[in-house]
Amino acid sequence: MMSTYNMVKQEFIKKWITTLHMLDCSVEHPLNVTERKNAIKLSSDIAMAAARSGSTVWSRALISRSGNKTANKPVARRILKKARNRLKNRCLTLRRNGNFTAKSGVRKRTELLKSLVPGGELIKNKDYLIRETLDYIVYLRAQVDVMRTVAAVDSVTGNLTNDNK
Amino acid sequence: MSNRRSRQSSSASRISDDQMIDLVGKLRQFLPEIRERRRPEKVSASKVLQETCNYIRKLHREVDNLSDRLSQLLDSVDEDSPEAAVISSLLM
Repeated sequence: MMSTYNMVKQEFIKKWITTLHMLDCSVEHPLNVTERKNAIKLSSDIAMAAARSGSTVWSRALISRSGNKTANKPVARRILKKARNRLKNRCLTLRRNGNFTAKSGVRKRTELLKSLVPGGELIKNKDYLIRETLDYIVYLRAQVDVMRTVAAVDSVTGNLTNDNK
Repeated sequence: MSNRRSRQSSSASRISDDQMIDLVGKLRQFLPEIRERRRPEKVSASKVLQETCNYIRKLHREVDNLSDRLSQLLDSVDEDSPEAAVISSLLM
């Protein structure tokens, strides 16, 4: 299980480097702090979805959603357009009838979960939703772990600079 | 690895790996092939779903905070400093 998780992280890192360059080429420099933050977050989300090389609803929904944010960047738009079309076709196969008890607590929280998992609102089948959620959580954790590691670079190199002064 | 995590963790209600494994186990119980076997302990579907939602929201917040931090890091580094070289080789 652990080595699979490391593979997920490695895949995410590879994709993130690509998406960062992709966005870097398509934005107007210099960026202010907020613009940079949005670019970092966007590239990270696209990378997370791209790292999931499979047919999950969440990864395609995330790419589709990210497409709206890169509306003015032609390169990104082209790359994301393909993924969005794939998502449209997939929607039709997902509307299976799921039978789960409509207890108010479970129903309400299931709706909440659907709003948190990208593309969750498209999933009618409860079991399918749970599978997507488990998958999504693994990749979300990998994203957080990698970003945290990169942010920690600061505390490592910060010491180096102080010694040189 | 855990040192770095505890240093960076700010919230007291951090879900540990054990809790995570437990949560995943409970989520799996909703899958049909596992539902066949009778589990001795009762699982509150509502509670598991709520925990899952809380966990996802927490991870979303962390991604947002980390994006903020990374953005500020790039803002505060001197262009010629070693940090800039390392960070810009990783980002932008």
